[in-house]
Amino acid sequence: MLSIGSLAFLNPWLLAALAALPVLWFLLRAIPPAPRRIRFPGVRLLLGLKDPERIPERTPWWLLLLRIAALAAAILGFAEPILNPRQPMSGTGPVLIVMDGGWASAADWEARRDRLRELLDQAGRAGRPVALVALADTPPAEARLDLRPAADWQGRIDALQPRAWAPDRAGWAEWLGAAIAANSAGIDSWWLRDGLAHGTDRLDETLAGAGTLTVIDPPRTVPGLRPARLEDGLLKVDAVRAAADAAETLSVVALGNDPGGTERRLAIAEAGFAEGERLATAEFDLPLELRNRITRLAIIGRPAAGAVTLTDAAVRRRKVGLLSGAQEQEGATLVSPLHYLRKALVPTAEVIEASLADMLAASPDVLVLADIGTFAPEEREALEAWVRKGGLLLRFAGPRLARAAGETALDPLLPVRLRAGGGRTVGGTMSWGDPKTLRPFPPTSPFAGLPVPDEVTVKRQVMAQPDVELPDRIIAALEDGTPLVTSREEGEGRVVLFHVTANAEWSSLPLSGLFVQMLERLAVSARAGGPQAADLEGLIWTPELVLDGFGRPMDASALSGVPGARLAEGRPGPDAPPGLYSAGDRVVAINLLDREAELEPAADPPAGALREELGASEETGLMHWFLMAALALMALDLIAALWIGGRLGFGRRRVAATAVTLLALGLALGLPPAPAAAQEVDEETAIRATRETVLAYVVTGDAKVDRISAAGLAGLSRMLTARTAIEPGEPMAVDIERDELAFFPMLYWPISEGQRAPSPAAIARLNAYLRSGGMIVFDTRDANLGAGIGRGTPNGRILQKIAAQLDIPPLEPVPADHVLTRTFYLIQSFPGRFIEGQVWVEAAQNVEQVEGMPFRNLNDGVTPVVIGSNDWAAAWAMDSSGRPMFPVGRALGGDRQREMAWRFGINLVMHVMTGNYKSDQVHVPALLDRLGQ
Amino acid sequence: MNETAPEARRGAEWLRRDAERITGTLPPLMAEAERLAHTVVSGVHGRRRAGPGEAFWQFRHAVPGDTAERIDWRQSARSDALYIRQMEWESAQSVQIWVDDSLAMDYRSDLARRSKGARARLLALALSVLLVRGGERVALMGTPAARPRSGEAQLTRIATELATDAPDRPDYGAPPDDPMVRGGRAVFLSDFMGPRDEVFPALSRAAEAGVVGACVQILDPAEESFPFDGRVVFRSMGGVVDFETQRARALREAYRARLAERQATLHDMARRTGWHALIHHTTDSPRAALLWLYMAIGGLARAGG
Repeated sequence: MLSIGSLAFLNPWLLAALAALPVLWFLLRAIPPAPRRIRFPGVRLLLGLKDPERIPERTPWWLLLLRIAALAAAILGFAEPILNPRQPMSGTGPVLIVMDGGWASAADWEARRDRLRELLDQAGRAGRPVALVALADTPPAEARLDLRPAADWQGRIDALQPRAWAPDRAGWAEWLGAAIAANSAGIDSWWLRDGLAHGTDRLDETLAGAGTLTVIDPPRTVPGLRPARLEDGLLKVDAVRAAADAAETLSVVALGNDPGGTERRLAIAEAGFAEGERLATAEFDLPLELRNRITRLAIIGRPAAGAVTLTDAAVRRRKVGLLSGAQEQEGATLVSPLHYLRKALVPTAEVIEASLADMLAASPDVLVLADIGTFAPEEREALEAWVRKGGLLLRFAGPRLARAAGETALDPLLPVRLRAGGGRTVGGTMSWGDPKTLRPFPPTSPFAGLPVPDEVTVKRQVMAQPDVELPDRIIAALEDGTPLVTSREEGEGRVVLFHVTANAEWSSLPLSGLFVQMLERLAVSARAGGPQAADLEGLIWTPELVLDGFGRPMDASALSGVPGARLAEGRPGPDAPPGLYSAGDRVVAINLLDREAELEPAADPPAGALREELGASEETGLMHWFLMAALALMALDLIAALWIGGRLGFGRRRVAATAVTLLALGLALGLPPAPAAAQEVDEETAIRATRETVLAYVVTGDAKVDRISAAGLAGLSRMLTARTAIEPGEPMAVDIERDELAFFPMLYWPISEGQRAPSPAAIARLNAYLRSGGMIVFDTRDANLGAGIGRGTPNGRILQKIAAQLDIPPLEPVPADHVLTRTFYLIQSFPGRFIEGQVWVEAAQNVEQVEGMPFRNLNDGVTPVVIGSNDWAAAWAMDSSGRPMFPVGRALGGDRQREMAWRFGINLVMHVMTGNYKSDQVHVPALLDRLGQ
Repeated sequence: MNETAPEARRGAEWLRRDAERITGTLPPLMAEAERLAHTVVSGVHGRRRAGPGEAFWQFRHAVPGDTAERIDWRQSARSDALYIRQMEWESAQSVQIWVDDSLAMDYRSDLARRSKGARARLLALALSVLLVRGGERVALMGTPAARPRSGEAQLTRIATELATDAPDRPDYGAPPDDPMVRGGRAVFLSDFMGPRDEVFPALSRAAEAGVVGACVQILDPAEESFPFDGRVVFRSMGGVVDFETQRARALREAYRARLAERQATLHDMARRTGWHALIHHTTDSPRAALLWLYMAIGGLARAGG
C-alpha cells in the first residue's frame, strides 16, 4: 500500500504505467483520424482541386489531452485509490473498547455502532481479544475485564442501545483501574466519547496509563433542553450546548395529545444560538388550552433523551374560579375571604372571578367557594353535574356555611356532614383552651411529608358529624383529631372542605407557607420552579412514563416505584430514569437537565492519546469514480473524434427533429385535460338520472362486484317494468367521492374487501343524502357466515367501519309486520343468492301493539338503510337477453328462491317510492282478506 | 359480380405470376410511365384529340398550286373562298432517346428517394408512351431497340430494355454512336458527369447529322449541394477514380463552381446546336421534366414542320 496524505493506493505498482503516457502522446500524435470513404459520381469534377485549408494531420492537442487524461484516470482507477485509509491495528495485546452509551451518544448512535463494528473487524483481523464496556451501565461487582474474541461481540452490537442517563465515568474509572491492574499485559483502548463532560473523572488517565488510548469524539455534541417554564404568559424553554462556536438555530417542537388522544405536534419554535453563546431560548406563545396539553418538548433532529424535556404541572396552569359568599368591601382587602387565595393562586393559575353560572360556563378545572352555604336549585344542579364530570370543588368554611350546616343527609357538595351549631371556638376570649395546632399529616394524605409549622393555629372551625367514614375522609386534622381538611370523591371529581375560613379570621393557616403548599398538593396550583426536594421526599413515586436514550417515551408500568429522596438528588440513573412520576394526584417530570444545567465539552485527552473524529474519515474506495471518469472522457473523445471527422453534420438535423418531437410530446402530456368535458359529462349524467327513475349502485372499485351490481339492478329494473308501474331506466354507477347522490331514490352498496374508506367529504354527502330521504342498501354478500352482523366476516367489519361514520339510526332485524313485507308482494323472507342472512332496518320508535290489529301502527318515514348479506344483486342479475347470470339455490327450489329475491327487490323499490303507504290501516281489511284471516 | 370458377381463377393467378416473373420490374415502371404520360397528355391537349396524324391544325386559304383533293369543301361552302384543312404532325417523326445506364446513374444520396437512373428510365418511358400515342417512331439508343419504330410493340421493347441492366456498365456514360436519323429528334438523359471529351463530341456529331433534340441533366441533390465535411476519400461508383480531401467542406465552393461551369457548357453547346437543355434534380417532380421534354420535342417538331 502506498499512501500520499489521506490517499492510498492498493496496487501502487500499476502507477508505473503512468510513465508510459508521454510515449503514448507521441504515438497518438502521429496517427491522424482515418478518412471516410464515400462513393460519389461528382468526384470527376473534384479532380485536380487543391485543399485550401488543410486539416492538421496530427490529432489536435486538446483531443490528445483528453485521451491522455482518460488513460491516466483508468490507470489511477485500477491502482485502487482509497481515501482515508485505516491504519491497521498493530500490536498484540488485548483491546479495550469503551463507549459512553449515555443519552448524549444517542443522536449519532448509528455512526458509533458502525465505528464499533469497524474496530471489532480490525481487532478480529489482528486476532486480539476484545473487552467492550458501556459506561452508562452499572459497573459489575467483580473488577475483571471480559475479554473475548471480537466475533463474539459482533452479535451484541445490534442489541446495544443508548441509555437515557449520563455515563458513570467516575465509577467506571475506578472499576477499570482495578481491572486493568489485574491484567498484566498492556491494554490498548479506544474510547467512543459523546463529547460532553459528565462531572469530573480520571478515566482518560486510567486508560492512557494502560496502553495506547484513542479517543473518538463526535464532530458535534448534542444540545440539551432545560425544563420548560412559564414567564410573562409565554412558555419558554432554554436550549444549552457544549460548544460555543458558530451561530446555530435549533427547532424545538412541542408535542401533546389532541382531544382525540393522539399525539401531535402542537407548535414549533426556534432557539437561535448566537455565535459564542451556549444558551438559547425558544418561546411558545400558545393559548392556555393548547399549552396545558403539551406533554414534552424536543429538539427536532437530535434524538437524545437530553434534548427532550417533559412537562408537568409546573407549566400547566389550571383555570380556577373564585367565589365568595361575603360582599367585598372596598379597602378591607386583608379581611376579604378571597385575598389569600388570590395571592396564592394568581401567580400560578388562571384565576377567574364571576358569577357561579358564568364561571361554570367557562369550564374551570377548580372552583373555590369561600363561605357559601346555600345554592339556588339550578346552581346546585349545575355544580353537582360539573363535579361529577371531574371538577375539583374546594370549599372554605365561614359563618354562612356554619349556619347552613346541620342537614341530616350528606350534601353532595360537601365531603362530610357538618354538625349544626356554628362550629366550635377554641382559645378565644369566651372559650376554654388554647388555639389548636396541626397534627402531622397521615401518610395516606395528599399532604403527607409536608412539614407542619408550629405557628399555624386554629381558633374556630366547623365540626363534622362523627361518622363511620369520617376518618377516611380526613386528610388533615388538628392535634385533637378534629378534622381540618376533609375530602371525598364525587363522581369523577372531588369535593374538598377546609373547615376554616380562607382568610385569617378563624385560623392563621392562610398566613403560612403551608397554605400554598397544601393548595399545590391538592393540584389547585403548581409552584413555578418545579418540584423542590421537600416536595419529593417522603413519598414513593411511581414512574408513569420514562424516556429511552433517544428521548422516546416508553411505557413504565413494569418499573417499580422510586423514593422521593432519590428523585430529589436530581441525577437520573439506572434506578431513576428520566420520566414522569406520580404520587397520588401529583405528577412530576424528572428531566435529565435541571433548571441550571450547563453542558460542558469533554476535556482534551491526555498527551500521548490519539484523537479521532467520529464518522469524519471513513475509508472510501475511489476506484469506481476514477473508472467512471475514464469512461466519460472516452465517450467525450468519441464525440470529439466524430466532430473532427465531420461526421456529426448529417445527424444534426435528425437530432434537432428528435428534440423537437420530444419537446412537443412533453408539452402535450403536460397540458392539463380540458375541464369543460368533465362538466359536460356531469350535466349529461344529471339529465339521465333525473329524466326517469334510475336505480344506482355504489362503485366499489372491484370490477367484478361492480359488474354484478350493474347486472343485478338491470335485472331488477326489467322485473319492475314488467310487473309494476315503476319503469326504471338503465341503472347507473355512482362514485360516492365524486357524483351527486340526490338524484337517486336508492343506492345499492355491495361491500367488498377492496372497499376503500370514504373520504370525510364523501361521508358528509352520504349523511346529507340519508337525511334528505335517500336509502342505502348495504349488502355484505357473505350471508354473515358464522357470525352476527359486523362480527366475524371481513366484509362485515368493513361495513361496520363505514357505517360508524354515517348518521344511521338504531337498527333492528326486519320485524314480521314491517312494511317491507307487504309493499307489493306479501313476503316474509328476503333471500338473495343466500337465504339465511338477517336483514336490518331502522328500529320502529314508540309503537305499540293494538289489540285486534295484526300490524302495529308504523306511520313514519322510510328506513334510511337496509343492511343485509344475501348478495341480492347476484340473484337479480340478468344478462342482456334476460337470462339469469348466476346459479341460485338448487334445481327448481333455486328458481323459486330467485323469484322471491325479485319479489324482495320489487318490495324494496316500492318501499322507497311509496314510503309507508301500505302501512296505512286502510289497507288492513284487504290485506287480512288476502292473508286468509 | 360474376362467380368465377376456382380453376379459372387459379389459372388467371398462374398466368399473372408468370407474366410478372418474365417482365421483372417492367409493369411498375410501365404503369408509372403511363400514369405520368397521361397527366401530361391531358395537360396539353385536353380531350379533343383526333386520331394519329389527323389532328386538325388550321384552315388556310387555298393558293394556286394546291391540289383539288386537299380543299375542304364543307368549309369552303360556307364562304366564297376555298380553304385547305391543315393537319398537325402530318408526318411521323423519329425520336431517338438515350438513357445513360452507367454506374454513376445508380447514385442516390440520403436526400433523394430515387436514383438518377430510375428517374431517367421513368422519363424515357413516359416520353415514349406519349410519343407512341402521338404516332411517332421511337428508338432507344445503344440497345436492340435502337431502330425507330412506332406502336405498342416498340413500347414494350423499350420498356424491357429499360428494365434490364446491361453487363459491364462503365463508370460514366457517353452517348453511343448509333446512326442518327436525319431530320429526327434526339433526347439525351444523363448526368453528363463523364469526361468532357466523351460527352460533348457526341452532341456535335448529332447536330451535324441534322438531328435536334433536348438534353436533360439529371442530378442528385447531393451532387448539387455537396454536403460533405471532414477527411474524405471520394470514389467514383465503379471505383475507377479516387480523390482524397482533408476537409471536404472547404472544397464545396470549388466543386459547385465546376458544376456550374459544366452546366453552362451544356447550355452553351445546346444553344449553338439548336438543342434544348434542362437541369433536373431527382427530388423535383418528374411531371415538370416530362412536360418540358414533350414541349421541347413538340416545339422542335412544329418548328421543323
